[in-house]
Amino acid sequence: MKFIKFTFALLSCAIITSCSTDDDNSSENLTGQTGNVVIKFDNGVGDQDFVFGTSYNKSNEESFKLNNLKYIISNIRFKDNEGNTFLYPIEKNVFIVSEDEGNNAGEILLTLEDVNAANYTEVTFGIGIDQERFSKGADGQGDFLAKAQDAGMMWSWASGYKFIRFDGAFSTNTITDEGLNLHMGSVGTSLDNYKETTLSLPNSILVRADKNPEIHIKADIMKVFDGVESVNFADGYDQVHVDAVETPIIATNVAAMFSVHHVHND
Amino acid sequence: MKKEILAILTVIVLLCSCTQSSDDVVGSYEAIPLVVNKPSNFPDIVYNLDNNQVTEAGFELGKKLFYEGKLSANNAIPCAFCHEQAFAFTHHEHTVSHGLNGGVGKRNAPPMQNLAYQSEFMWDGAATHLDLLSIIPITSEVEMGETLSNVLSKLKADPYYQTQFEKAFKNGAINSENMLKALSQFMVMMVSSNSKYDKYVRQEGNVSFSKKERDGLDTFKNKCASCHATDLFTDQTYRNTGLPINPRLNDKGRFVIFENSDDLYKFKVPSLRNIEKSKPYMHDGRLSSLEAVLNFYDNGMVENGGLVDPIFKKEDGSLGISLTPYEKESIIAFLKTLTDNEFLTDDRFAEF
Repeated sequence: MKFIKFTFALLSCAIITSCSTDDDNSSENLTGQTGNVVIKFDNGVGDQDFVFGTSYNKSNEESFKLNNLKYIISNIRFKDNEGNTFLYPIEKNVFIVSEDEGNNAGEILLTLEDVNAANYTEVTFGIGIDQERFSKGADGQGDFLAKAQDAGMMWSWASGYKFIRFDGAFSTNTITDEGLNLHMGSVGTSLDNYKETTLSLPNSILVRADKNPEIHIKADIMKVFDGVESVNFADGYDQVHVDAVETPIIATNVAAMFSVHHVHND
Repeated sequence: MKKEILAILTVIVLLCSCTQSSDDVVGSYEAIPLVVNKPSNFPDIVYNLDNNQVTEAGFELGKKLFYEGKLSANNAIPCAFCHEQAFAFTHHEHTVSHGLNGGVGKRNAPPMQNLAYQSEFMWDGAATHLDLLSIIPITSEVEMGETLSNVLSKLKADPYYQTQFEKAFKNGAINSENMLKALSQFMVMMVSSNSKYDKYVRQEGNVSFSKKERDGLDTFKNKCASCHATDLFTDQTYRNTGLPINPRLNDKGRFVIFENSDDLYKFKVPSLRNIEKSKPYMHDGRLSSLEAVLNFYDNGMVENGGLVDPIFKKEDGSLGISLTPYEKESIIAFLKTLTDNEFLTDDRFAEF
């Protein structure tokens, strides 16, 4: 397989080289060419980096600290400068972003291979598992079910995924360090908490066989509680599981916590 | 120039991928299809067979997995531990079941039959897809107490599974997708549709009902069939039937799925097929005979703190379904016509 990729890359280079000799640079022919894209997820809290065990203040004189922080990202797709969309192959297009798998900078890297070469201006992704994927049962899931279970991202009492998982403790002005567990997901077909977010890139990423562009995405964890709508631990948001009122609010807040910090084209 | 290079590239890629695929698969995939039985008196199949075509090899693999202790943490508790064929795949004479390390569950093991015709599973509807259903008992601490990845490592180390997954699936992978699909292939084939009742309604082979059985069927249609509907004998809804709460279990039923108070103490309307064989009855197995069940509906229902299904409200405001002794006797005679001995003794589903 490595050999194929190498051959492919080598020959692709040959094509590019021949293109540039035969054609004008401005009408670069990208047909059949692919490259990798790295998406970095970087969890933070407002203007601070997120660190396990550190206490962060939110509104209503409440604070929280976490020892577990994970979410599922799926259905990543890119829009190019001509309006075409490239959807990463659906079977591979589901990832668990786990803070404890971050590098020293606290970044979790997802590598998308064989993305069609183009100049992309926009990225869209979903948080969680959409109904279409879930309704297929095991079909097309490969080993994701086992992976999700190992990561603690599946319910134990029912079949289904936790889309986002925060575990830790919260404090209010009357309570100190009580359990905080936010395990939000869809429940069957009747409670659908899958949401997508679309982010414009500050400058295009140029996907080519010889380039590995990176998109650096910041996730502001504070927005899960103080986001589109502010919620309070004191009002029951210390334990969020399957409630039909609470979970859609959290899902909306989560979908709005992402922003593109910058991109790299080198 | 460009076109030539592209052509060469394509040829090379094709050659490489051809060589590779023949290396990987070794040509042992055997796609001999099996047909899921669709009796004329049944509603449509719900399970999407297009996504998981049942094959001989896949069915055999699923059956082996169903009887495989390695699916549990101590390698000793297969699915079949609580689902015995002779008793419509229930745990014979167990009110609730025991599993790993003596753990005791909260609910009576439900029968397994006609699963391809159902969209939700478990007493509370916790599983919304047949493929995903098995994850719950495999991972439950009081049942099989194992993780999917541990099960897969054990299967990967076993020569039988190394071969059988290759026979059953095009990509031959021993992964959670294929394991769960194989279990589903076994389960969708488990169709119970050859009881005396089935033959009677399909007018097969001169089967006739006695007067008592006919009377029982009539009473059943009048008093029971609004919930135990269709020839699956369930409308697949969740209902609070006014069972007194067992404080030791305090099982809130479907409430745990959505934490919605309207769902308190609701459980799925069970099918009545092979009911004669699947005792004890109710979600926690508290009633050990059909007489006890009918007596409960006649005069045992209580306001249990949840929303008891209004269908049970009589004109005088009390709860229950009034039944005379003869009605009970004849309903039971009718229910026994739902016993499908062909299914209960079918070698295809038997361990040996």
